[in-house]
Amino acid sequence: QEESEVTEGALVRDVLYACQGIDGRYVKFDKELDGYAVDEAFRVPRATRMLVRRLCEVGWLYKRVRQHITDNLEEGPLEAIGTVGQAFCSSLQEELSDYYRLIAILEAQVHNPIPLMSEGSKAGNYLSLRRLMVWLAEPLVRMRLLAVLVDGCKSLRGGAMAGAIHMHAQHGAPIVRSIMARLLIRVCSPLFEMVRRWVLEGELDDLYEEFFVVGQPVKAEALWREGYRLQSSMLPSFIPESLAQRILRTGKSINFLRVCCEDHGWAEAASEAVAAAGTSGNRGGLGYGETEALEVMVVEAARKIDGHLLKIMYERYRFRDHCLAIKRYLLLGQGDFIQYLMDLVGPDLSQPANTVSSFKLAGLLESAIRTSNAQYDEGDILDRLRVKMMPYNSGDRGWDVFSLEYTLRDPLNTIFTEAVMASYLKIFNFLWRLKRVEHALSATWQTMKPNCSLARLFTPSGHGEKSQVVAVLRRCQTLRNEMNHFVTNLQYYIMFEVLEYSWANFLEEMEDAQDLDDLIAAHEKYLTSIIEKALLGERSKLLCKTLFSLFDLILRFRGLADRLYENARAVQARSDNSARKKLERELLLSGVGRKMANADFTVEFLKGMGEEMDGVAAEYSSLFEGFIAQLPVQQHVDLKFLSFRLDFSEFYIRQHMSMSTTPL
Amino acid sequence: GNKGASSDPFSMSDLNRAIGIFAPSVQELLLIDDLLFTMVGIEGKYITLKKGRSKESTLSFQIDPSMDLSLQELAKRILPLCESYTIVSQFTELRSHFKHGLVNHALAAALRAILQDYHALVAQLEHQFRLGRLALQGLWFYCQPMMGAMQALSTVVLKASGGSHSGAAILNLLENQAAAIAGDNSARSLLQKLSQFASAPYLGILERWVYEGVIDDPYGEFFIDENKALLKESLSQDLSATYWQQRYSLKHELPGFLSSAAETILTTGKYLNAMRECGHNVKISFPDDTKGSGSGTRHHLERINVAYNFASAELLNLIVQKFDLMGRLRSVKHYFLVDQGDLLVHFMDIAKDELAKRPSTISVEKLQSLLDLALRTSIAASDPYYEDLFCNVEKLPLLRQLENLQKTGIGGLTDIEKFGESSGVEPSSSQASSGIITGLETFTLNYKVQWPLSLVISRKALMKYQLIFRLLFHCKHVERQLCGTWQVHQATRGLRFIGTSMPRSYVLCQRMLHFTQTFVHYLTFEVIEPNWHVMHGKLQAVKSIDEVISQHDYFLDKCLKECVLLWPQIFKKVEKLKAICLQYATATQWLIPSMSTPDPAAKDSSAAKLSVSENRDGSSRSARSRQSRQEATRVFNPSDEATFRTTIGKIEEEYNKELNKLVLLLTNGSQTDPYLAHLAHGLQGVGHDS
Repeated sequence: QEESEVTEGALVRDVLYACQGIDGRYVKFDKELDGYAVDEAFRVPRATRMLVRRLCEVGWLYKRVRQHITDNLEEGPLEAIGTVGQAFCSSLQEELSDYYRLIAILEAQVHNPIPLMSEGSKAGNYLSLRRLMVWLAEPLVRMRLLAVLVDGCKSLRGGAMAGAIHMHAQHGAPIVRSIMARLLIRVCSPLFEMVRRWVLEGELDDLYEEFFVVGQPVKAEALWREGYRLQSSMLPSFIPESLAQRILRTGKSINFLRVCCEDHGWAEAASEAVAAAGTSGNRGGLGYGETEALEVMVVEAARKIDGHLLKIMYERYRFRDHCLAIKRYLLLGQGDFIQYLMDLVGPDLSQPANTVSSFKLAGLLESAIRTSNAQYDEGDILDRLRVKMMPYNSGDRGWDVFSLEYTLRDPLNTIFTEAVMASYLKIFNFLWRLKRVEHALSATWQTMKPNCSLARLFTPSGHGEKSQVVAVLRRCQTLRNEMNHFVTNLQYYIMFEVLEYSWANFLEEMEDAQDLDDLIAAHEKYLTSIIEKALLGERSKLLCKTLFSLFDLILRFRGLADRLYENARAVQARSDNSARKKLERELLLSGVGRKMANADFTVEFLKGMGEEMDGVAAEYSSLFEGFIAQLPVQQHVDLKFLSFRLDFSEFYIRQHMSMSTTPL
Repeated sequence: GNKGASSDPFSMSDLNRAIGIFAPSVQELLLIDDLLFTMVGIEGKYITLKKGRSKESTLSFQIDPSMDLSLQELAKRILPLCESYTIVSQFTELRSHFKHGLVNHALAAALRAILQDYHALVAQLEHQFRLGRLALQGLWFYCQPMMGAMQALSTVVLKASGGSHSGAAILNLLENQAAAIAGDNSARSLLQKLSQFASAPYLGILERWVYEGVIDDPYGEFFIDENKALLKESLSQDLSATYWQQRYSLKHELPGFLSSAAETILTTGKYLNAMRECGHNVKISFPDDTKGSGSGTRHHLERINVAYNFASAELLNLIVQKFDLMGRLRSVKHYFLVDQGDLLVHFMDIAKDELAKRPSTISVEKLQSLLDLALRTSIAASDPYYEDLFCNVEKLPLLRQLENLQKTGIGGLTDIEKFGESSGVEPSSSQASSGIITGLETFTLNYKVQWPLSLVISRKALMKYQLIFRLLFHCKHVERQLCGTWQVHQATRGLRFIGTSMPRSYVLCQRMLHFTQTFVHYLTFEVIEPNWHVMHGKLQAVKSIDEVISQHDYFLDKCLKECVLLWPQIFKKVEKLKAICLQYATATQWLIPSMSTPDPAAKDSSAAKLSVSENRDGSSRSARSRQSRQEATRVFNPSDEATFRTTIGKIEEEYNKELNKLVLLLTNGSQTDPYLAHLAHGLQGVGHDS
């Protein structure tokens, strides 16, 4: 009756099988214990059982790793694991094959008999369980690591998997480090290849959606903004976010050049970048652990390609010229042209909107160009300038629907998107309105100027009608002056503090722009700065409304003033005639009936006029006061300058104070 | 094989039979077999594992008591080795987990290597045993070298696992333990080897920090702590910003061999990091890669010193050259320490009306545009940084602000003496005398400072500049007001003022002027300029940015102190005197023009008085021109003259009193702080006349 039914040699053999995940005769997988153990049916000493169990941990781990490989590589569909997963599995396989080699060597030693005390000392390289323990110590560490990795990466793919593996490389033990380094280089190589292709060739070489850049089919003009984006879940943790952004942009630039600009100069730029970065550009030039090299390459490539892209934008597509043209025509920078245009289209625009012919307006635009300095501008730029009639409601005048348009094509419409052009349109409408008001006020001045002697003529006589005329005329004069002060200062503010200031900033930023994103951002900043400061932004809606009602009021005043002066002229003519006693001639010239009607009308008219004028003045001052009061509420430094300028002598503040104190 | 029952330990018939029934020679064989198991931590048949009452740290092996006693004794001697092995191997397994940190990993790996040797030894022993060459005595002999080593390891491991140490704690533990058993040569060298292995990843972290300024510390083991909540922008915004002091800090636990260099290491990385924040990437590299030469510790320390020198020189160079520190300081001095007066005079001229308003109604934008105007038309336009200057209106007058600073202790102005005792009464009275606070009391300049210059010109430093500026500004204002009075006096020349109080007013005006001018002269020529000069000289020779900061701070503190801003008693007196001067200036400019009545033949005097008093603020020029027109026909109005006389008399009396008090205070103070004597001396000339 033996203590052990099984010889040690047999156990060793079985343990070796168990190490490969195979049940032996004595050592079998025990589901309850979740591990390999000597079958209970055999009588084996407890200590030996312990030792076997300990040795077979390797087998248990091996089984897990092996399971992962078969699940993924041999049975699962390729797209489920992706190239990174494949690389991971194959490098696992490689680690395993080292392990197989060891097992094979050990297997060869199994056949040497284990010497017993009774025998001589001629035994060769035999294997006992204890010797096996020495042999298997290192594979155990290795296998444990692999099993941890397999568990950690089970459900991950692509960049996320690489990131997870990278996290496991943060280990202090040298052996773990070396294994992980080996593994990571292989696992990450598909990723780095993708990065390389993307950065240098602009190809999205990503069959299984593992890359951290994803593309989607969009139209050419949206390519830059929406065509590609970062997928942060696929971004491995060893690539910093900023670098990833740069990678994204570089590839995007190449694609943009290719698709929108139909340019091929980028290839040269890319190869220059490669040469400059010192990497040969072939496979394996980049790898895990060389993040700095990657960064150098990406930065270099980005610099070259973005530089090329900007050059193309500036030189071939003349971005700067177009910006300037927009500023000159849409933002009323070209004064003489705008003046001519206003003069020419004014009469037409006063008609109801539905009777205005856009063809005629186009013709007028053409002639405005011809007669102004704009004619020296390039044909290409002038061709893009069009008249645009906006949709109108009933009761709209031509003024409400007229606007200018500047058309831009690929690839500039990446910067000048529809939303951007809509903003320009908004600014244009505002400026055009302001200009119209200013124009109206100067027209009023033109009608007033020849009549300034009128008032003087009436002064000496104490005639009731005439003194009333004087009073109304005076009222009209002062009101116009007040309005003119406001409009001039507002215009000064818009033109110099807003437009020119923003433009100067924009030019500066354009100089500094490193890539298209910078350029877009600079342009966007330029536009929003104008909109914000010109009171067109969301925050200043109320202010803008007040402003527009002020404009309307001024236009109403203009009509009033026109009527007044028409009449005043008539009165003047009458009094002249009476003074010179040439009534008869006058009667002969203009007819009795009309003259009599005029004379009757004047008293009534003046009274009505005076009242209306007072009404306008009252409304104006209340609106204007509201406007001034709202200005400081805007948290905008520049607007304070405007209010400072509008109320330079502190007249309005004092007026406001006295108004608010009088009721008390 | 021929299996004799007596010689084959595997053929024992009964599992449960006690060992005592065998012959001692058989017992020995059985015991060796069992011991070989126990040596790798597996309990054998006759040697069983007895768990202690508490955790596995107290586990021990027990031998079948029926065994031959002498064998039992010898086996008991070997058993500690087995126990130590178990402890060490458990520790090794446990500490290889990721969460325990790099140092633990490395230590575990080193231990594992030792255990591997040990396993090999056991296998060797087994081999000998199988060849029948191993007796218990032999086993005992072969175990000897391992006994001590394993014993030492288990002590260390027990200590290490007790507090679940990591990082520097482990390294220190190893060091200390090695030192504690310094007598045992082999054990010590073993522990030193261990600590060398364990510190390898730690040194890796250290190198990245010292050579690149990057903390690459996934498990938080490094002894430098980064406080990400502190932003560098806070330097130019927050009065109590501690970015530079506390962004990186030392943790409690330092590895012993680095503790002497810890501060250097911290500063080196901090400098490198500051450069990185400036977008200037540097990497210190050593061309002569002589790793392992010399003793490890000293070698490291030398490298750290080299890195430190490099980093401090580089950062200083960066800030001084690229960011033009001296130019900046000079620019700040132009504006805040008023070293070119044309800007200030011009600004005060054009901003007079705005500054005379209450602080709440002042439009800062208007002041700003006036300041811009003054900047562009003065010599300051040649300063490349003049666009960074902007203005500010504080809420409190200077005295109150100083009190607040002292109370809250912000800004490090803790060495201000107590404003305490009498301040309850005095500020209110001085305010009452100076009337309402105007922009003149609260106006101050401000300056945009960007990183990394905000290291030197921090918000705190800027505040000190502002305090000095406000003092100078107000003194200038008082001086200008007195000059206005002088002008008014000039207009009364040629009048018959003998017998009136005009001569007295003349004298008082001159004395007040002398006071303000002496005071300003003291501030600028005896305090600011010499101190600046000293600082400037020292800044040429500094070695690191920290020295620059401390020199600059020293300069500012010294200026603050010598400008009597930190002497509340004296400062209050000065304020009081200035208030009296202003009161006098206002009174004279109001009274003198109205006093001289035009000839009865001329226009109604009350109307003239009214018009003069309306624009009393500044338009003395227009008043004067009117006066000069009427001069010939005017005489002093006796009733007005009487009020003038009493007013002047009162003011003069108060002025004399306060001035004497101030001089007394100064003389008292000058015993401890000699610079006050200069001021006292300057002022005394006036004090003794009266």
